[in-house]
Amino acid sequence: MAVVSREAQVSRAPIVRVSVNRILLWVVGLGVAALVVWRIAGTAARGLYGPDIWIMQTLNGLVQGSMYALVALGYTMVYGILLMINFAHGEIFMIGAMAGYFVLNGFHQSGLLASDPVLALLLTFVVGMGVPPIVGVLLERIAYRPLRRAPRLVPLICAIGASFFLQQAVRLLFGIRTKVYPTVAVLSGSWTVNVGGRDLRIQHMSALIIVITIILMVALYLLVRKTKIGKAMRAVAEDKEAAALMGIDVDWVIMITFAIGSALAGAAGVMWGLWYKQVIHTVGFIPGIKAFTSAVLGGIGNIPGAMMGGLFLGFVEAIAPTALDISTQLKDVISFGLLVIVLIFRPSGILGEVLSGKKA
Amino acid sequence: MALLEVENIHTYYGSIHALKGISITVDKGEIVTLVGANGAGKSTTLNTICGVLKPRHGEIRLNGELLNALKPHEIVAKGISQAPEGRRIFSRLTVMENLEMGAYARSDRREIAKDLERVFAIFPRLKERARQVGGTLSGGEQQMLAIARALMARPRVLLLDEPSMGLAPILVQEIFSVIREINQQGTTILLVEQNVNMALQIAQRGYVLETGRVALQGSAKELRENPRVRAVYLGETLHA
Amino acid sequence: MKKWFVVVLIVTLALMLLPWGVLAAPPGQEGKIYTLGPRETLSLIAAREYGNVLAYPAIVYYNNLAAQTNPQLTKITDPNAVKPGDVILLPTADQVKAYLAGERVGPAKGDAPPDDLWGVVTIGPGEPVRIGFAAALSGAGVDVLGLDEKRGAELAVADRPTLAGHPVELVVEDDLCSGEGGTAVANKFVADPTIVAVVGNMCSSSSIPASDIYEKAGYTMVSPSSTAVAFTARGLRSANRVCWSDAIQGPAAAKFVYEKLGIRKVATIHDGSPYGEGLVNAFAEGFKALGGEVVAQEAVSVGDTDMRPVLTKISVTGPELIYFGGFVAEGAFLASQRVDVGIEKVIFMGADGIKADDFIKAAGAAAEGAYASAADLATAGPGVNAFLAKYEATYGEKPPAPFHLHAYDAVNVIMDAIYASAVQGPDGTLWIGREALNRAIRATSGYQGLSGVITCQPNGDCGTGTVAMSKVVNGQWVPAE
Repeated sequence: MAVVSREAQVSRAPIVRVSVNRILLWVVGLGVAALVVWRIAGTAARGLYGPDIWIMQTLNGLVQGSMYALVALGYTMVYGILLMINFAHGEIFMIGAMAGYFVLNGFHQSGLLASDPVLALLLTFVVGMGVPPIVGVLLERIAYRPLRRAPRLVPLICAIGASFFLQQAVRLLFGIRTKVYPTVAVLSGSWTVNVGGRDLRIQHMSALIIVITIILMVALYLLVRKTKIGKAMRAVAEDKEAAALMGIDVDWVIMITFAIGSALAGAAGVMWGLWYKQVIHTVGFIPGIKAFTSAVLGGIGNIPGAMMGGLFLGFVEAIAPTALDISTQLKDVISFGLLVIVLIFRPSGILGEVLSGKKA
Repeated sequence: MALLEVENIHTYYGSIHALKGISITVDKGEIVTLVGANGAGKSTTLNTICGVLKPRHGEIRLNGELLNALKPHEIVAKGISQAPEGRRIFSRLTVMENLEMGAYARSDRREIAKDLERVFAIFPRLKERARQVGGTLSGGEQQMLAIARALMARPRVLLLDEPSMGLAPILVQEIFSVIREINQQGTTILLVEQNVNMALQIAQRGYVLETGRVALQGSAKELRENPRVRAVYLGETLHA
Repeated sequence: MKKWFVVVLIVTLALMLLPWGVLAAPPGQEGKIYTLGPRETLSLIAAREYGNVLAYPAIVYYNNLAAQTNPQLTKITDPNAVKPGDVILLPTADQVKAYLAGERVGPAKGDAPPDDLWGVVTIGPGEPVRIGFAAALSGAGVDVLGLDEKRGAELAVADRPTLAGHPVELVVEDDLCSGEGGTAVANKFVADPTIVAVVGNMCSSSSIPASDIYEKAGYTMVSPSSTAVAFTARGLRSANRVCWSDAIQGPAAAKFVYEKLGIRKVATIHDGSPYGEGLVNAFAEGFKALGGEVVAQEAVSVGDTDMRPVLTKISVTGPELIYFGGFVAEGAFLASQRVDVGIEKVIFMGADGIKADDFIKAAGAAAEGAYASAADLATAGPGVNAFLAKYEATYGEKPPAPFHLHAYDAVNVIMDAIYASAVQGPDGTLWIGREALNRAIRATSGYQGLSGVITCQPNGDCGTGTVAMSKVVNGQWVPAE
């Protein structure tokens, strides 16, 4: 979409105008960057926060960022293949969180969580990653496939509608009350590390989340790079018609893409529940928006970009209010401001390649 | 019975009546060429055979089996593959991966490996560049890759759409000799070409399409000698 | 035989069509004038005169009604603070019985709709009196507060299902606890001329923008729980509430923290809502006035889940207590993530926005020892126990949040005001002048509700303002003192 508007700009305005605009943007961007550096230097000079605080905030950011990144992968994969923003993806995440809740809560009540927590958690992840793909694939089949040849805004609107539908469906099926994940005893502890004379606590749960995220990311990378279906996904993303002419069942590949993206979002949903405890039918909205932001930040359509974008966004959200010494309430302003700045300097995202006009 | 039979197909782009009853046949082992001006319906014919476009009327048969209702990937599995116009290789995939995609519909690993050997024997340049991504290849190499990729499906009929387009004359020669070589190894080829002269030199038979209809057909020799073909296609297009 | 049946049927139908309200004996100004003796309370009199301690609100009601025309009588603004020598009217036993059954004096009889500056709601014979209800019924951490209020309002209607021969209907809308939601619901209600008045909104974030819309349309709202100072501080006649203002709650909490807990250094966090911000400011001012130090003032946003960054940031300032203005979800995230950043020894305190069972459920073990200020049930009116029993029987659980009583009272205040201000035609048609209704609500005085005594100030603050502190002990909210 960005490409279209830039081309439109070029065709309408003389070249000189455009470059003046760009210079202006660069000046604004550099100004903001200078301001940020100045604030950080100020905070550092005051020495209010010790190294333990910085490590803590970084860790907070990585955990949060891991979840953003896993959800962002779904956005970016679907965009890569269909050039469409699946705005219902946040709801897929929510369904993962909900499914995880019902399983883990069931194990909690049956006592399995206490007697065999590893098995209980494993099964929770299996279900939490198993249910969302069913919904994701149905969504693709029912809501998006019939619109594949429609103008690009149509499936986008449809996605927003699907998002409301899923949210309200879960609300009607499972009620409006907040669901609280049971505490997992084996994961509720923490390691204490002494940093600069102060105790730093590292949650077992945060380690688990980061490790699972890394495993899933590596698995996805190998899948996309090394397997036949992964290569087919890349081929379809590049040229659907040529892929079909090679004997690739494009519909099937798109379905698999939705399924994989949904499974990753489901995993993030379960982690979200384990980490933040409370889930509700609206829980997918904000992470959905943030993950979408991450995907754009990293370069939408680009898988390593989504991973990086998510981690980066989580990191900035956690550390920026401390580093800039401003109210935590402003963290969303910071993260979206960051998005704007990144897009000024790199319109196609951090790792995004310049899209060819053909696709936009 | 011919290997590939296209019988009286009518294809539309929206409301535009692009193919108005085209019938062609391709026998086993032949090179058959479709020639004609831009917009005559050559690529449309290939795309209709491949299932990318659906004919509103008419029948397409491979070995007597009706293909009309099949999806493109199912048609590939039946034995028709295409090196499409403009090559359309996967520029972000490596040469090797491109070739693997060509064999996507197959699961006979040992045979695929054999075909890979064969393709590399025909196109030694591709073997050298197997690990490069497609986008870094030159135009001629990309065309070779497109043909090689289509061959990896081990097609019963290979469709080639404008293989010489945009290539330097020396490369055009090379491509055509490769096409002949592939044919001699036993692959049946349906060739669409604007370079009518070259096409009629390597083909056994040909069809001249004009505005969605078959205007002329016959052996390559007959067509080469046809005064109208000489005037319209061999005379002018050579300089174009 | 068949003929007989038809006759009975027709007679029955005809009887049903008769305007029964006219046939019923009008409750007059009977009863006796009585002067209170030393140490006499209204409950004592109620027990002696009517054999029912719980009948004293009826005395207040009939007395205050008569006091409007009879200057000899003392108007009761607080049933718990009557003095010897006060001259009051004791209603008849029948009147008391009618009062306890939900009957009130009125509506006035008339043949034509009254003139009213703000317009008249006409309710035809048999048509329902429709009262709007707006609260957050979805949304993490606020849904439970809204659900609880809705149940309180529903039980009020269940207790008094009819009003002057008309069924009472609650029109429930979800305002999402947001400005947009409050505005949307308000626009929906003002577009519906049959809505008489509105119970709501729950959150100040919804109430404040909604009150502007109601003000223009001549609607009156009675909020059970919008405690933000700003809600009633803008001189609007539409805005009324039966709860306290945070100008009371914040300083009360500050006093408790400084004097009872002996804490001198606090950090405050609010959720960016008008309620949270107003409350925290009132608390901080009160705390500083007492001589305490506010070492950090932070804010998060509604919907935030990761509180570790803000807690980490606060941790370096070394507060002894974190005071939070906001709701269950964010409160529980803060309380539980406190442990993760190693400041679980810092006490967590919130207000009525978190005093719900869901807070304990969501924060788990970290909720233990947390404080919250909320309505003081010790000063609550009679009938609370009966109400709670009915609540549990109806919904299968104890009230999960603090404002069910206020919602119950809000409905009753509106219904009483309708009796006092409406005009009823001979066929039973009810005409309710919106401005008259507003005046009647503002005139509420000494009404003994479940949440306490409700007496409206000129600004629309009608609640008692008695705040009590609670603490989580063994996974339960219990009184802190």
